Amino acid sequence: MSRLVTKEDIEHVAKLMKIDVDNIDEYYERVQKILNYFDSLDKADIESEEIPVQETTIGELREDKYIPFDARLIDQLKNYKGAFVRAPKMN
Amino acid sequence: MSLAISASEYIDGVKNGTLTAEEFVAKTLDQISKYDGSLHAFLSLNEKALEQARQIDKKIKSGQKIGALYGLPVSIKDNICIKGGRTTCASKMLENYIAPYDATVVTRLTSQDAVIIGKTNLDEFAMGVATEFSAFGPSKNPWNQDCVPGGSSGGAAVSVAAMECVAALGSDTGGSVRNPASFCSVVGLKPTYGLVSRYGLVSYANSIEQIGPMGRKVEDVALILNHIAGKDPHDNTTIDNKNEDYLKGIDSGVQGKKIGIIKEMSKGQGLDKNVEAAFWRAVSQFEKLGAKIEEISLDMVEYTVATYYVLTTAEAGSNLSRYDNIRYGYDLDLEGYEFKSYIAKARKNFGPEVTRRMILGGFVPSAGFAGKYLLKALKVKSKLKKQIQTAFQKCDFLISPTVPVLPFKFGEKIDDPLAMYLADINTVTANLTGVPAISIPFEIHNGLPIGIQIHANMLQEKQLIQAAYALQGTTRLPEVPL
Repeated sequence: MSRLVTKEDIEHVAKLMKIDVDNIDEYYERVQKILNYFDSLDKADIESEEIPVQETTIGELREDKYIPFDARLIDQLKNYKGAFVRAPKMN
Repeated sequence: MSLAISASEYIDGVKNGTLTAEEFVAKTLDQISKYDGSLHAFLSLNEKALEQARQIDKKIKSGQKIGALYGLPVSIKDNICIKGGRTTCASKMLENYIAPYDATVVTRLTSQDAVIIGKTNLDEFAMGVATEFSAFGPSKNPWNQDCVPGGSSGGAAVSVAAMECVAALGSDTGGSVRNPASFCSVVGLKPTYGLVSRYGLVSYANSIEQIGPMGRKVEDVALILNHIAGKDPHDNTTIDNKNEDYLKGIDSGVQGKKIGIIKEMSKGQGLDKNVEAAFWRAVSQFEKLGAKIEEISLDMVEYTVATYYVLTTAEAGSNLSRYDNIRYGYDLDLEGYEFKSYIAKARKNFGPEVTRRMILGGFVPSAGFAGKYLLKALKVKSKLKKQIQTAFQKCDFLISPTVPVLPFKFGEKIDDPLAMYLADINTVTANLTGVPAISIPFEIHNGLPIGIQIHANMLQEKQLIQAAYALQGTTRLPEVPL
């Protein structure tokens, strides 16, 4: 089994994804196992394959127009007072 | 009056006055109160359903214009938005989220006077193959309550199988409509990518997922597709189907059609012997119906599960980054955290599978690993698409078992994500290539359902439904043992 990914890598990625993980060992084993399974892609005969790029002409895009949304959208905001949303302290 | 009727039987009944929407909806609600305590197909019910049915009856009586669905009770997977109702995605993170708008599919069904009976259970954010990962507890398979109903649209399949509604909408990212359809002995269709609008579907992996209809009969699925398919200005990926009628000519049969057996899906490792035997019986039914059978090979199928999970975790990592507990979420004290740690703490409310996929979704597109995983997955996807297009030059349809195994017991695979992921091996190809595929109930083995999957080329839903209808005509399946 290749050990390309270290526990520190998993911790680092979890931090980047802003996820608190209590038991990193549990995730380490499983994520490692799945990544090893992803290694099977190395055997696929795809060297000459090109990755298609999707192109959309400007004419196909919808008009760049402001469409007001239902006022009830604002009801979904938590900690909404008057015209403000209260968010956690930033530092 | 039986609840085990097809959508068209229901509509005919209401039209000619042998039944009313109100009595049928009332009976459906009775069925739910009787069985859903143990089956847990629903996460919430539409409290106005009975009143809406009553209004529909009133409209009919007074000769007013009425929509084509005449109060047909339909369930909606709880990752599809209904204005003013909860849309939880079976996640604690969205437990109290009230959608401020209707998904296009919901607007289209209700504008035809369908009655939305409730929102159905799923794996959290549609990530799973067993509806075991719902934050609100699993749904149970009505054929054997010790077994999983499949996933992630498990609740949708159960609601249809247990006659708690006539039809349902699920979503299919890697087989999430077809897999539970197979496990619960109902019909499930994953349409061509872009045929049905995804506006109002909570995104998990938007480049491949599709909303799909489920029903007890192929004709019910065709009827629902008639009303939900087509161009939507809210979803730029949608395709115009020019008001195709999928019911018209449904009994055209498969005489003279060429059907390809996908070699990599119909034999080999991991395929249950009983599923395999049922599959070959389905093949011989197609032969009797006048189809020509040949074996074809799609060698990229071997890599589809890895490809699927690489692509979906990358997209999930991005799509789920919006859940910061500021715009949506639950109450968490605002004091005493630094911004990043606040979000990290809030995300502890994600279940283990979502957390796992978000971590994987951080890895696969990252600088050191993108070439190793993401780019290779995109290349496999591209090659697979070419292979399936070549196959469709030779064949009208491709067939396989829907899921290689029989419905399994709760807890059996939950600790082994890889074993669970492999349940998707026959279904992910349709998602990665964008072609439509349908699962049809075919046999019941020792009380457990087995489904057969048919693929067709892009936008060939009409022919696909005809083939499914032909196979359905060869089966005589028992009633669900409730």
